Amino acid sequence: MRSLIAFMKKEWMEQVRTGRIVILGIIFVFLGIMNPAVAKLTPWLMELVSESMAEMGMTLTAVQVDAMDSWTQFYKNIPIGLIAFVLMQSGLFTKEYQSGTLVLTLTKGLERYKVVLAKTAVLLGLWSVYYWMCYAITYCYNDIYWENSIASHLGFAAMCWWLVGILVIAFMVLFSALMDSNTAVLTCTGGAFLAVYLLSLLPKVKEYTPAMLMSSSALLIGGVEVAIYYKAIMIAIVMSIASVALSIPVMNKRKV
Amino acid sequence: MEILKIEHLKKRFGDKEVLKGVEMTVPEHSVFGFIGRNGAGKTTTMKTVLGLLKPDEGDIYVAGEKVIYGQTATNRHIGYLPDVPEFYPFMTATEYLNFCGEITGVNKSESRKRSEELLELVGLAGEKHRIQGFSRGMKQRLGIAQALLNRPKLLICDEPTSALDPVGRKEILDILQAVKEQTTVLFSTHILSDVERICSDIAFLNDGVIVEQGTLAEIQGKNRTEEYLLETTREEEAKNLLQVFPNIQELQKNQLSIRGSEETLFKVLKYVADNKIPIHKVEHLEPTLESLFLEVVKG
Repeated sequence: MRSLIAFMKKEWMEQVRTGRIVILGIIFVFLGIMNPAVAKLTPWLMELVSESMAEMGMTLTAVQVDAMDSWTQFYKNIPIGLIAFVLMQSGLFTKEYQSGTLVLTLTKGLERYKVVLAKTAVLLGLWSVYYWMCYAITYCYNDIYWENSIASHLGFAAMCWWLVGILVIAFMVLFSALMDSNTAVLTCTGGAFLAVYLLSLLPKVKEYTPAMLMSSSALLIGGVEVAIYYKAIMIAIVMSIASVALSIPVMNKRKV
Repeated sequence: MEILKIEHLKKRFGDKEVLKGVEMTVPEHSVFGFIGRNGAGKTTTMKTVLGLLKPDEGDIYVAGEKVIYGQTATNRHIGYLPDVPEFYPFMTATEYLNFCGEITGVNKSESRKRSEELLELVGLAGEKHRIQGFSRGMKQRLGIAQALLNRPKLLICDEPTSALDPVGRKEILDILQAVKEQTTVLFSTHILSDVERICSDIAFLNDGVIVEQGTLAEIQGKNRTEEYLLETTREEEAKNLLQVFPNIQELQKNQLSIRGSEETLFKVLKYVADNKIPIHKVEHLEPTLESLFLEVVKG
């Protein structure tokens, strides 16, 4: 346990000293502020373009914005945050293979599964902090300017997208155990998620695919039962655990 | 008692069979020179001992425990210094050693104390900069410190001096000399003068097998072919001798090497005396490890 914590501390130190933690923090804070900001600025932007639109014979009526517009923006922006997160963290394993830093650590007696667990824990922890920080910023601004209560199942819908991130990270861990290069990890992670998405296009399996969770913003306007997401949530959790679990024997057998 | 035992180790990379049945034992408390040309399979052997490579055949035992690929249990007995050690560049030397201490399960206060001792030993005490700014020699010295942190029974050094300048080489050899009282050192290299300087036991790896193993004195005794230096006063006389005795080799313009028994030397000297060839000197050459290695490899 002590060695696992030591390796997690090393991962944390790496995130801090390489500046990744700050850069990703800035991105997620920016996205969190942008959601209400875009909603808030929409009427002003519309007013700006209304004159030129009038010249073309189009009339714009006054636009009313509320918290729902800000939450819509949140679900548009969060994939950008997830992509930035994956791009910046995709070298977490491969950089160690390429530089050979893992050799000394493993020859010190650290079990390989602890490397997988420590890196996974740090990735999941960071993703959770960034994601919910972005959510909290949007929530607070929305509460100041409008009423969050007009959106239904806010927390549940957000949890669904958080789970999408967890699944993508689990894929990234699995492919990091398998592949040697950053590009290969990114390609395979993207490919695996694309496969999940393509499966969701089949009506019969749609409700079972984790890609269904990406449409959780539909819950906000009401009229949709949360229960329809349960199967996709279960599958996402099982797939995430399976990916991380599978990466352990893969890591045990790989050449470092 | 042996600290390391390798039995019939085979390893193939694609079509190339790198190790063809390595048999080797490293006695405890020895400084063991593992000698072979570049690409002979020294690093492959060492990485297999560390459980980092999977052998195709054969068994390895460290302190009596079997090495299992992918598992690290036997590594608690080992300290490892690769040829080019790579560290986390964002850490300082002290932070790295403390990290290694936590990984190996050394308690915090002992780890700090040991780190200080080792940094002192390798000349990095008080070094506050991050490792990313370290020179190759400094990294090598830190490599030795991390390898010794858990007081290993076996210190494996993979060509620790090959990438260093003469000053760096001397520093590393001095450190290895200093630690040989505390641990068994397995030291792979192709720089034979380094082996002569610090090793008590040696093994020659050639073409994937151990062709010779024993103490330095044993091997020197076993493979000894006498060698004499004959220096003529002029180059022409040396050329004349080369024509008469085909088994003589030219070392320099007027310096000749005579290899073989005393009988061979006497025949040459008789010819020199009979023909009144002026010579400058005759000298018995002590066999170098290099000449032994070449002899063993050739044989």
